[in-house]
Amino acid sequence: MNEQEHIDKLMLELRRGTITIGVLSQLSSPQYGYSLVTMLNEKGVPVEPGTLYPLLRRLEKQGLLESSWDTNEARPRKYYVLSEMGKAVYEQLCKEWEGIVRSLDDLIHTRKDEENGDD
Amino acid sequence: MIERYIYAVTQKLPQNQRDDIAIELRGLIEDMIEERIGSGEASNQVVEEVLLELGSPREMANKYRGTKKYLIGPELYDPFLIVLKIVLISMSVGLGAVFVIQSIITPPEILDHFVKLIVALVTGLPQALGWVALMFVLVEYGGGLKTKDLGLDKAWSPAMLTAIPDPKRRIKRSEPIIAIIFYVIIMVWFAFSSDFFGIYVFNDNGFKEVVPFLNEEAFSMYMPFVLLFFATFIVKECLKLISGKWTMKLVGYTTVINILGIVVIFFLITGDSFWNPEFMNDLVQAGVVAEGSEGYQIGEAIWRNSTRITVAILLIGLVWDIIDGWIKARKK
Repeated sequence: MNEQEHIDKLMLELRRGTITIGVLSQLSSPQYGYSLVTMLNEKGVPVEPGTLYPLLRRLEKQGLLESSWDTNEARPRKYYVLSEMGKAVYEQLCKEWEGIVRSLDDLIHTRKDEENGDD
Repeated sequence: MIERYIYAVTQKLPQNQRDDIAIELRGLIEDMIEERIGSGEASNQVVEEVLLELGSPREMANKYRGTKKYLIGPELYDPFLIVLKIVLISMSVGLGAVFVIQSIITPPEILDHFVKLIVALVTGLPQALGWVALMFVLVEYGGGLKTKDLGLDKAWSPAMLTAIPDPKRRIKRSEPIIAIIFYVIIMVWFAFSSDFFGIYVFNDNGFKEVVPFLNEEAFSMYMPFVLLFFATFIVKECLKLISGKWTMKLVGYTTVINILGIVVIFFLITGDSFWNPEFMNDLVQAGVVAEGSEGYQIGEAIWRNSTRITVAILLIGLVWDIIDGWIKARKK
């Protein structure tokens, strides 16, 4: 494995968890699958439909999302929205995430400072 | 092409989700096409691009399916490998032993025996693999022995660390392994040549014949039961191997299997047709003892008692196995 492949693999693992938070963040109002893909892509969180659609179903099954079919449009679309539990979980996740960012920032910057100090 | 793709994906999914996912996927694909070319008729090339982006139907279905994509999970994989190795190796050894014995009995037919050995290996080993795998799949999915019971659960806390089992409660790995080897070899012998169990008669020219203990004619009828019987016992040993220590649950399984064994032994071995009814006559004919001699009477007494004693030993052994398990499982 070369350097790039290692990075790709680690990034994949890193993204996997963050996608869920990204998805939950956009679902305070109902969205259907593809609109979410576009939205997340625009905001710099690239996600493949092949990943997102199964993820949405899984989150629904876990009770974090609720869904309803909209058959009024040209094609039937399944709209997802946060459930009560989903909202609570999302809020907690956000706190956890901020905690992680803070701690990692700290770790990364402390190390940089040390390196600079050594120089 | 789109319908084919959707079909290929949903085909690999559980029935009750298929329709739902099909509609969802169709919507997605249409959305993706629309994004590329706006409204209007999509060319094959665009459709192809979109499907390529979605990835192969198999990958897609896998993502939808999510969990449990294995027959034998990581928790059971190690014991599975161990048991598989034991079974395959001891089966080969057993078959090899059959070959050696047969070659000693009838040396001129050694080539014939060798061919049979190869055939037996080629047909027998995959079968053994299949049965072992099936057994573990049943444990995996039947959940008879959940990973939780084995202390392999993912939600784990140090509080769950059971005290290092009392050496008396622990099951040494060698115990079930030796038992499995023993059972497999016996099974192989039963399956391929039940007439190996007997008294080997030699004369000056070397081997003469075997006076079998068992009733060969009736035995072919019993064989499936005997094999099944051994198979359940191998299951029992595997459970011991997986568990690694005596627990009440394990004792429960052991009890059930052993009681089954006792019933089988009772009906099978105590029946008249299990043992060779002509054993003494065969001995006389083989020239081992002369009829009416003192040796004959002693032989007959030994024969009669030993069949009974065998039954008794087996029964006592099985009952003891249960009691032993109980005692060890109760130790804290």
